[in-house]
Amino acid sequence: MSKKQTRYEWYPLEAYGELADGIQKVLIPADRIKSRVLAMGQAISEEYRGRRPLLVGVLKGVVPFMADLLRSITIPVEVDYMAVASYSAEARSNGMVRLEKDLSMPITGRHVLFVEDIIDTGLTLNYLLRSLRTRDPASLEVCVLFNKPQRRLIDIPMKYKGFDLPDLLVVGCGLDFRERYRNLPFVGLLKPEVFQNDVES
Amino acid sequence: MSEPNATQPAFAHPSEEAFARILDYYGIEWQYEPDTFVLKQDSQGHTLEAFSPDFYLPQQDLYIELTTLRPKLIRHKNRKIRHLRELHPEINIKLFKRRNIRDLMIKYGIDEEARKILDREAQ
Repeated sequence: MSKKQTRYEWYPLEAYGELADGIQKVLIPADRIKSRVLAMGQAISEEYRGRRPLLVGVLKGVVPFMADLLRSITIPVEVDYMAVASYSAEARSNGMVRLEKDLSMPITGRHVLFVEDIIDTGLTLNYLLRSLRTRDPASLEVCVLFNKPQRRLIDIPMKYKGFDLPDLLVVGCGLDFRERYRNLPFVGLLKPEVFQNDVES
Repeated sequence: MSEPNATQPAFAHPSEEAFARILDYYGIEWQYEPDTFVLKQDSQGHTLEAFSPDFYLPQQDLYIELTTLRPKLIRHKNRKIRHLRELHPEINIKLFKRRNIRDLMIKYGIDEEARKILDREAQ
């Protein structure tokens, strides 16, 4: 009789088939990410006790992190999402950021924790934080899983931070390349030929 | 950001123009090569070497230099920036190298510029 499995195990890299083929190497394994998110959830639970924070995320990259973070928090919280049009040719012709989905609830007087999968240039987040500040929340803080400081253009104060990442094309845990790889439970370095082939085609 | 619909400066490189558009899109004020820093003078005070960073973001008090030079050719630019930091440690400057710019173009879906950089890498 096989030994009873007592803890959740992630699939091995090979199980991800064609997605795994695009990965040069795993930079941050799934168990490290899981441990870090748990610690972030515990810290949020301590600091926001009695304040029922509203966690706000930007679709779509934040979804895996938000799901894990929510389940790591032990106090009452609420969650809401925004969506921003990507920097497409159409969006560029409009000349400014377009919100595809705004929050479904007011945030005036609320303790808002903005949850992001990654901050690199800080441009998008800066824009959204400016927008949220005009709605007079009681507090507005940032919680980010991955930070890419090398490309930062706008300084964003982060109350909670998971990992610093090198300035490389990485995917997984919500981070995508052309909408793919978000479902990988680890952070992997994308093979150069993946984006070279894609961009060239 | 430059004033909406204002005349755009004559950018030295298409990636600079793409970068300026990204800043405009996100409402970030920018100036193109607003300052020139003297790095070296002769005994009469004539400028022997100077450096004009590509962009200045006033709200962030940050200079940005973009370069699409190959890594082997970037030594000269690195030296200028290092010298600038020695002379003006209060200045905040960030260098975006060709890989940074390529990744930025890929991130924002500006495939045309990313492709040009990739093509140059393949040469």
